[in-house]
Amino acid sequence: MNVITNNQLKATVALAALQDVVDPEIGLNIVDLGLVYQIDFDEANRKVYCTMTLTTQFCPMGESITLAAKEALKACFVGDEAIVELSFDPPWNHEMISETGREFLNNQ
Amino acid sequence: MFGGVNDTATSNTTSHQVVLPFYGYASLAYLAATLLLVFSSNAFTGHYFHPHILAITHIMALGWGTMMILGASYQLVPVLIERKLYSPVMAQISFVLAGLGIALLCYGFYVFDMGWPAQYGGWLILFSVLLYLLNLAISMSKSKEENVHAFFVFTATLWLLATVTVGLLLVYNFTHQVLSHGSLDYLPVHAHLGIAGWFLLLVIGVGSRLIPMFLISKYSHPQMLWWIYGLINGGLLSFIGFFLYSDNRVWLLLSVAAVAAGLVLFALFCFRSYQQRIRKKVDDPMQFSLLSVLMLFLPLVFLVVIVLLLIFDPAGNTVFVTAYGFVILFGWITAIILGMTFKTLPFIIWNKVYHLLAGKQKTPNSKDLFNESVFKWMSLAYLAGFVLFCGGILSQNQIVLHAAAVLLLVSSVLYNWNVIRLLLHKPAVL
Repeated sequence: MNVITNNQLKATVALAALQDVVDPEIGLNIVDLGLVYQIDFDEANRKVYCTMTLTTQFCPMGESITLAAKEALKACFVGDEAIVELSFDPPWNHEMISETGREFLNNQ
Repeated sequence: MFGGVNDTATSNTTSHQVVLPFYGYASLAYLAATLLLVFSSNAFTGHYFHPHILAITHIMALGWGTMMILGASYQLVPVLIERKLYSPVMAQISFVLAGLGIALLCYGFYVFDMGWPAQYGGWLILFSVLLYLLNLAISMSKSKEENVHAFFVFTATLWLLATVTVGLLLVYNFTHQVLSHGSLDYLPVHAHLGIAGWFLLLVIGVGSRLIPMFLISKYSHPQMLWWIYGLINGGLLSFIGFFLYSDNRVWLLLSVAAVAAGLVLFALFCFRSYQQRIRKKVDDPMQFSLLSVLMLFLPLVFLVVIVLLLIFDPAGNTVFVTAYGFVILFGWITAIILGMTFKTLPFIIWNKVYHLLAGKQKTPNSKDLFNESVFKWMSLAYLAGFVLFCGGILSQNQIVLHAAAVLLLVSSVLYNWNVIRLLLHKPAVL
């Protein structure tokens, strides 16, 4: 997975936290599903920015998944403000699923 | 790097308060229809124009099939057209109108009173469909992209409007001379407007989006879907023309061939989606939905037999007409609803119960919200009941019909058990 970030070390921690956020229909976490595009940190103002997408723009689970991502980041970086934004450019496609995600879906 | 950052997708889902009443009503309608089937199974050994068969047919077509589809489409249309539903209030009013109207109409058929119960019922259903159509049209007019799925849904709704309008005329034709012939003569047109125009187009339009989505399949082929759209609409329009304006019934086979070609293409679309799926294991509800695609071909076989009998032996086709109606309503339509209910309803309930808890505590997957073993028993009872009942109609055997009706009743009780379990679901602490 190619997640853009301005702080590789903290992004690794953030992605680990986001792996707890699971699409309830598919059963796969949003990181391996390829929904997370970018994670940036504003150290001075204690903010975490996450840009992510959904499998489809009007995904009925969209609100739950973005709220869950926000909660996961808040719990990971206590005291920081977590801002989750959606982007559909580029739109999600199946190639974005990680190898781990594909293995999971193969064996599910 | 990432253009168009926004949060528009997070608050555009249709509220569960709009959608769930449709699911509840449809589930009870299936129970009511199978209950009537047990008490009226003997009627299936006679002519299909029997008050109880008419009542059961309309409970299945409107109360079960149409109410479920209306409810699910209020949820799914925003996903298809990537725009918010224009008016949830209009959707709720459409539920009340259709709910009352269907009950009145079916009561009218059951006691064969074509006076005010059937007439008022028909009007209420017509107003409900008009509201649905208007809501859909305004929602879709805000959509920027041309979308084949949306065309299927909108055209299907136009055919539903035509079906209901013709149906209302037929009801009035019993008490006033509205049409040039008796109502029975127009039944094939009324029925096929509903079967091919409404159900078939709607199911293909929505199914061609949902099946690849639930299988997590890479397959997409809008051009093939446009061909299917043309073949089915062409087949239906030609059927209406040939039926009303030609005495030579051979022409009807052309219409059947066009629709059959559309069905073969749709089956191919589903097969390719299945082949190119990323999620290898196909769960039980999805298997059931895929089975319903195969069940689409059963009515086609009966239809060819009916047309051939119309040409060679017009008096001998009543058993096949009854069987044809049964395999559509209790076969294909019921199978797809039994399967898709447990793909769509769990995530609607999950969203209702867990959307604010997600990320704060462990939550179950949506498939964990219903009982899979009850689903399996329901499937077995349904399949056994369906096959037996078909056999009972063709052999005109009352004992087989009654036993099969009991099995179908068992399937509807188990279905309702799982639906009620879902509707009453409370947050589970994992």
